[in-house]
Amino acid sequence: MKKSIYIFSDGEIKRKDNTLYFETEDGRKYIPVENTQEILIFGEVTINKRLLEFLTESEIIMHFFNYYGYYVGSFYPREHLNSGYMILKQAEHYLDHKKRIILATKFVSGAIENIKRVLIYYANRGKPLNETVDRINSIARSIEDCESTEELMAVEGNIRDEYYQAFDIILDSEHFVFETRTKRPPKNRLNALISFANSLVYTTCLSEIYHTHLDPRIGYLHTTNFRRFTLNLDVAEIFKPIIADRVIFNLVNKGIIKSQHFEKKLDGIVLNDKGKQLLIQQMDERLRSTIQHKRLGRHVSYRQLIRLELYKIQKHLMEEEEYKPFQTGW
Amino acid sequence: MKVILVYDINEKRVAKVLKICRKYLHWVQNSVFEGEISEAKLVKLKMELKKIINENEDSVIIYTFRSAWYTNRETMGVKKGGEELII
Repeated sequence: MKKSIYIFSDGEIKRKDNTLYFETEDGRKYIPVENTQEILIFGEVTINKRLLEFLTESEIIMHFFNYYGYYVGSFYPREHLNSGYMILKQAEHYLDHKKRIILATKFVSGAIENIKRVLIYYANRGKPLNETVDRINSIARSIEDCESTEELMAVEGNIRDEYYQAFDIILDSEHFVFETRTKRPPKNRLNALISFANSLVYTTCLSEIYHTHLDPRIGYLHTTNFRRFTLNLDVAEIFKPIIADRVIFNLVNKGIIKSQHFEKKLDGIVLNDKGKQLLIQQMDERLRSTIQHKRLGRHVSYRQLIRLELYKIQKHLMEEEEYKPFQTGW
Repeated sequence: MKVILVYDINEKRVAKVLKICRKYLHWVQNSVFEGEISEAKLVKLKMELKKIINENEDSVIIYTFRSAWYTNRETMGVKKGGEELII
């Protein structure tokens, strides 16, 4: 399994002896290029064009985050898997309203299904969550009648409201209360965790899309517009509850993350470097942990699950097999 | 697959071998590398090394573990290199 590299220190990263070399004031380190999947940069890092050329050659995607941990963008190397056919198919499914709604509905229903699984998982561990599940079920009934992606997003939003309210029951911690969902900037610690974890899921999905024939700019639930990647946001919806949220619950319930890992900034609250690193560590472990895949009959990591999901979408676009969103089994 | 690679190479070629190993594995200390690597990449690494080394003078030993579960790693003294993913 290729590894993801996370850089927090300030320094210079460059190509040296046909591999990656990171130099800081107090040390230097070679990063094995053949074993690197993606690089996430949080620190103040100097790069040059030679490095970007080398990353393209090695098919390594580089994501950048600003001082506060917000995603700022990616170096998305020239497509190495180019397929005009797939782009046409993607556009066809986007432009045909009926086809687009079908896919968008699947992303929402997949997300809801996994949200319910998370709630049921904690309900089985004695948390009083059955009412929330019932309420979500009753809202979820209306997704089949949605005629536009805006309506779908609204239904999903309502379900997420219910779901986030349940965070307080699952966590039961005075230092981490949910209140309401706030972004840009997050107003409390839990919101800061959710925002940061979600942005990591988005970049992971983007990295996986890079290794398929799909074009990340054409999404279905999230409207394709002039500024950014949207397909990764669609796919992330399905995985956010089972990857990001479960990691957050673990961090808080096991007392790994504490109030000293946050700081007040930008009129809100953000994670400090130590906090980010703790979350990244758990997230990385989560993505590498494996589950038994029913259909394939072998162990598959969560990261590979995302890739498999993309292959299923490709099959759907080629009209070979109807897409069925992944549902966790636990 | 977990791999530990150690080598003893004639001075003339040691720098070349060092550079090849750096592409695939994490440097731990002089002449020692370790890391997680796929089987295919290990074959590639071995082929690259084969081209460089002189089989009458040099020696490379590669230990492979299917999983790192039953191993234990202890460092004494100075920590020189390592496998951190968060730098």
